[in-house]
Amino acid sequence: MAITSLVFLLFVFGVMLVYYIAPSKYQWIVLLAASIFFYLSCGTWGIFFVLITATSVYFAAQKIGAITEGQKAYFKENKDTLSRDDKKIIKSKNTKKRRLILILTLILNFGILCAFKYVDVYWDLALFSANAVFKLLGLRTINGNFSIIAPLGLSFYTFQAIGYLVDVYWDNCKPEKNYLKNLLFVSFFPQVTQGPISDYSQLSAELFSKHKFDYDHFTRGFQRMLWGFGKKMVIADFIAPYVQNVFHNYGSYTGISTLIGAFLYSLQIYTDFSGYMDIMCGVCEMFGIRLTENFERPYFSKSIAEYWRRWHITLGAWFKKYIYYTIGMSGWSRKLGQKSKEKFGKFVGQTIPPSVALVVVWLATGVWHGATGAYVAWGAVNGLFIIFSIWMEPNYTRLKNKLHIRESNFWWRLFQVVRTFTLVTFIKVLPEVGTLREGFGLIFHIFRDHTLPATAAQLFPFAESFTLKTFFVLLLSVLLFVHSLLERKNDVRDLFGKLPLIVRIVMLSLLLIVIAYVGIPASNEGGFLYAKF
Amino acid sequence: MDELLEILNDINPDIDYMTETNLIDGKMIDSFSIFKLIDDICETFDIDIGPKWMRNENFNSVHAMWDMIQAIQNEDE
Repeated sequence: MAITSLVFLLFVFGVMLVYYIAPSKYQWIVLLAASIFFYLSCGTWGIFFVLITATSVYFAAQKIGAITEGQKAYFKENKDTLSRDDKKIIKSKNTKKRRLILILTLILNFGILCAFKYVDVYWDLALFSANAVFKLLGLRTINGNFSIIAPLGLSFYTFQAIGYLVDVYWDNCKPEKNYLKNLLFVSFFPQVTQGPISDYSQLSAELFSKHKFDYDHFTRGFQRMLWGFGKKMVIADFIAPYVQNVFHNYGSYTGISTLIGAFLYSLQIYTDFSGYMDIMCGVCEMFGIRLTENFERPYFSKSIAEYWRRWHITLGAWFKKYIYYTIGMSGWSRKLGQKSKEKFGKFVGQTIPPSVALVVVWLATGVWHGATGAYVAWGAVNGLFIIFSIWMEPNYTRLKNKLHIRESNFWWRLFQVVRTFTLVTFIKVLPEVGTLREGFGLIFHIFRDHTLPATAAQLFPFAESFTLKTFFVLLLSVLLFVHSLLERKNDVRDLFGKLPLIVRIVMLSLLLIVIAYVGIPASNEGGFLYAKF
Repeated sequence: MDELLEILNDINPDIDYMTETNLIDGKMIDSFSIFKLIDDICETFDIDIGPKWMRNENFNSVHAMWDMIQAIQNEDE
C-alpha cells in the first residue's frame, strides 16, 4: 500500500472510524489489526520476521524481568540476613543470566537484520573468494548478482524492539505482559516503515490509553498530514528526476549545475523524510496519539553536531543511549581514560572515552545506512568533523575572543548556518552517487568547469520550460522556508488556527489542488528515500 | 551536595545550578561534557554510574543528580 495513494487515505479514515466507534479499552486492538493489515498489504512474507522479532523480544523481556523482580523480592525478604558480599554474589549470578538472554536475543535479531541488509556484501565476498580459488586452479571465473528484498522497515522496528529489551535489562522499564500489546509496539503501522524509533515507555503510554474523538486533534492532525503530502509529493518527487540526472551524469554538467543538483538533493531528502514524518505524525494526531518528533529545523543548525541533534532525532538518540554511553562508560573505556589522564592530563583523559565512543557510533551509523565503503566513509567524515570541532573548541573560543565575534551576532550566526548547510550537503551526497570514488568525483566536479555559457545553456532550458507546476513547486518551497522560520518561536498550526475559517478552508483546498495537480503525476507511488535503510 | 556543585561549576560556572532543571534537555551540558561530569562524580563519590542511569531526567538538575548518587550508593549497600 503506497503511502501517497488514495488507498492509504481510505485505509486511515476507515481505521479511524472503527477506532472511535470501538469501546475505548479495545482501541489498541483496532490499531493492531490495522497494523497487521497494513504490513500484509505491503508484502505478505515480511510479517514472519516481524513476528520473530516481536516474539523473541517478548519472551526475553519476560525472562529478564522475572529474574530482576525475583532478585528484588529475595533481597527484600532477606534484608536482615544478607551481607553486602552475599548480595554482590547473587547480583553477579543474576546479571550473567540476564546478559546471556539479552545477548542471544541480540544475536538473533541483529543476525536477521545483517542477513537481509548486507546480503549483497556477503555475496560479493563469496564470489570474490570463489573466483580467487578458481583463478588459482586455472578455472573460469564466475559473475552474477544476488539480492533479496528485506522485510519492510526491518532496521527501524528491530532497533525499536531492541531498545525496549535493553531498557528492561537495565530495569528502566517493566516488561509488557500482554503479547499482543508487545506486537503492536513493534508493528504500529505509522512508524513501522521509517520510524520514528520510539521508547517503549513513551509510545506505550500513547498506544494503550483511551482516546476520545477530539475535533481539535483531528483538524491539527489533518493539516499536518496534508502539509506532509505537499512536501513529499510536490517538492521531493518533482525535483527527484533532476537530482538523479545530475548524480548519474555529473560529468556532463558544469560545476554550478552540479552544485545546484547537490543542494536540491538536500531539499529533496529533507522534504521526503520530514514529509513522511508529517504524514504519520498527522495520522497519529487524528487518532489522539503523539509520536516522538524526528526533526527540529535541521538546516538551521550552526554546527554538524547540532545538525545531528536535529535530523533523524530518534535514530541519533538510539545510538546515543544504547551505543555511545555503553561504550563510553564501559570498563575498558574508563581504563583507557584513566591511563590517558595519568599520561597526558585531565582534559585528554576525559575526552578520549567519548571520542572513541563517537568513532564507533559514527561507523555504526554509516553501516546502518548501508554496508558500502561510501556509507562507512560518510559516517567516518561526520564523526571526524564532530570530534575535531569538540577538540578544537578551546582554540575556537580564543580565536573568536581575539576577533571580537559575539555568538549573538546575526551575521556570525548566518555564516555558521550557511557553512553547516553546505558541509552537510557535501557529506550527504558522498554515498548517494554510487561508489565512494563517484561520490568524491561529484564533489570535486563542483569545483571544476565554471564556464558561464555552458552553465547558462544547462539552466536556460529549465527556465524556458518554466511551467505552472514549477511555479507551484517554488511557491511551496518558499512556504516551507517561511514555515521553518516561523517554527523557531511559534507553533505554526496555532498561528494557522487563528486565521478566519474561510481563509483556512481556502488555503487547505489550494494545497489539496496543488498536490493533485503537481504531486499525483510526479509522485513515484509512495517510494520514500529512507525506506531503503 | 557542595562537592557536586563544585564539579558542575568546573564544567560551566555560568549556570545557576540550584534553580536550573533543564541541564540536559536544554543542552547546557552536552554529551561530551557529561563524560567529564560522570568521571568526576564517580571519583568524588566512589560510585559506579552504569549506562542504565544515563537518562536525561537523572542529569537535568543538581537535585536529580544528587538523588541518583544516593540511589546508586543505596543499591551498592
